[in-house]
Amino acid sequence: MSPEQALATGSALLYRQARLLDERRWQDWLDLFTEDCEYWVPAWLSEQRQTEDPNTQVSLIYYDLRSRLADRVWRVQSGTSVASDPMPRTCHAITNIQVDEAGDDAIRLFAVFRVDYHWRAQSQAYFGHYQHTLRRDGTDWRIARQKISVLNDYIPTLLDFYLV
Amino acid sequence: MNAIHDSALPVPERYLRDDPAAGVFDVHRDVYRDPALFELEMRHVFERHWVFLAHETQLPKPLDYLATWIGRQPVLLHRDDKGKIGAFLNVCPHKGAAVCQSESGNRKFHVCPYHGWTFDARGNCVLVKDRAQGAYPAHFEQADTRLPPLARFGNYRGFLFGSLNPDVPPLEEHLAGISAFLDMIVDQSEHGTEVIPGRSYYTYDANWKMQLENCLDAYHLTSTHPSFINIAASRASGGSSFRNIDIADFVDPAIPSGSYTFANGHGAIWIHTANPEVRPLYRQYDALKARVGQQRADMMLKTINFTVFPNLQFSCNACIQMRVMRPLAVDRTEMRSYCIGPKGEPADQRKLRIHQFEDFFNPTGLATPDDSRVYESVQMGLRARSAPAVGLGHLRGLRQVIQGPDEFAREIGITPLTSSSGRSDVQDETVFHGSYREWARRIKAGLASEVTP
Ligand code: FES
Ligand SMILES: [Fe+2]
Repeated sequence: MSPEQALATGSALLYRQARLLDERRWQDWLDLFTEDCEYWVPAWLSEQRQTEDPNTQVSLIYYDLRSRLADRVWRVQSGTSVASDPMPRTCHAITNIQVDEAGDDAIRLFAVFRVDYHWRAQSQAYFGHYQHTLRRDGTDWRIARQKISVLNDYIPTLLDFYLV
Repeated sequence: MNAIHDSALPVPERYLRDDPAAGVFDVHRDVYRDPALFELEMRHVFERHWVFLAHETQLPKPLDYLATWIGRQPVLLHRDDKGKIGAFLNVCPHKGAAVCQSESGNRKFHVCPYHGWTFDARGNCVLVKDRAQGAYPAHFEQADTRLPPLARFGNYRGFLFGSLNPDVPPLEEHLAGISAFLDMIVDQSEHGTEVIPGRSYYTYDANWKMQLENCLDAYHLTSTHPSFINIAASRASGGSSFRNIDIADFVDPAIPSGSYTFANGHGAIWIHTANPEVRPLYRQYDALKARVGQQRADMMLKTINFTVFPNLQFSCNACIQMRVMRPLAVDRTEMRSYCIGPKGEPADQRKLRIHQFEDFFNPTGLATPDDSRVYESVQMGLRARSAPAVGLGHLRGLRQVIQGPDEFAREIGITPLTSSSGRSDVQDETVFHGSYREWARRIKAGLASEVTP
């Protein structure tokens, strides 16, 4: 696959993910991930260094199965979580997308994100870097790995998957 | 008996009515919302007594340093080249800049960013820039140029505490009965305990005592965390390999439980564990039993939450969380949350511990965000000034409280001031009383000491 094709394919998937999160189309969002996907939001060790190994260091979020993401989706949809009631309105902006690898069955991407959100008369934002590994699944592409480095990790009350 | 908030009463009696014989324990709502009281508690509860600073494994190597706080005041811990940790105020003796700008790291010297005075890990000023040319008077030459050392600094089995006031009892005496609970964490491994790297700092917009209470509040579990309880239940029934807290611990009312208050404001609750096998520590059960005895091993596998007053808390269930509270304003609090683990535990046990921790305790997890939002709901509700001034949140279980140790306390060899035990659905609220009594005692003593004769 050419870098241009990879960029077009990858960008489309990232934009789609952003839109599905903003539109709260949770099941469609989950369908973007492979069954064995790794979803990782590292924590920070200090100001300059983030965690590098999710099995010996604490992450902000770490799952290596899509079913764990489904738990979180179930939770926000259940109406039984105070933290997501009311749900914040979100606006995912993704830019600076670069192709790190353009294989026929795998694409690796780097991008930056900013998620503005509004909750109970307050507007706030998270921002940082995305690193994605996309895998070909027939004619579709899915997210096999999503690493989200949140740069403003001094967290006002909470941070959840729909805010990054 | 005087009505609470009678302005003729002195502080703190105006805010706390404590009469167990009459079945009364009333906390005035201003305790959570009055900035003037917040100022008093910073001065007299935090800045005149022992406060938790850090765990020594947060600065493991020679020349590691860590910046932290006592109340509102900046503190710097620095391990010297021999491995000894010093504790200082993070303020330059020259014009007052914070000499250390970053939260942690490793360095030999702190060079003040303003005029370049330089301090070693023992707090000595090793360089006053251009001192010889300074035409300094004798007064300067005699002055103390060190970083101001904390008046008291103590290490209880790796837990570091400091005080700005020299006139405090020895640390062990301050910890009183709660040290048995710290021991229970440290003794989970023969090598002691450690803070697992990877921290989360978060804030919530509510009073710090929301967290102080909530850590020992079993009453909120089924109503604040039904989403987590449901997920735990579905994982259990689906045979998921990823188990966390077992919900039986919280919803089976017949399970035994208890709570204790200790001298100096500390408190603890315990709940028997229905199925200890989901806990990482259980994988070491036989070795643990052989080393610490069956009774202590079983204790380590219970759900135990405790407070080391005023700013340190532990939640020990599937895994262990260490929380450090830092009040920022009457309605804003910073939390530092860490995962604690036995040193040298097997890799699979450590991995499970970490993922259980992230799942439940992180501010990005499935339970803590619900707590934080609830604190904010309380703070919002407290704006209702025409509602009754006294809250009813400290009375559950009061008829059950006994003075001194109960049978279980005697069994495990602790000496609480009060005990309460029984079915887990009592979900006792009297365990907060000890902290408020200490809160009142400190404010009273502090105000008295400020009165000029
Ligand atoms: S304030 Fe530190 S050197 Fe001047
Ligand atoms: Fe909770």
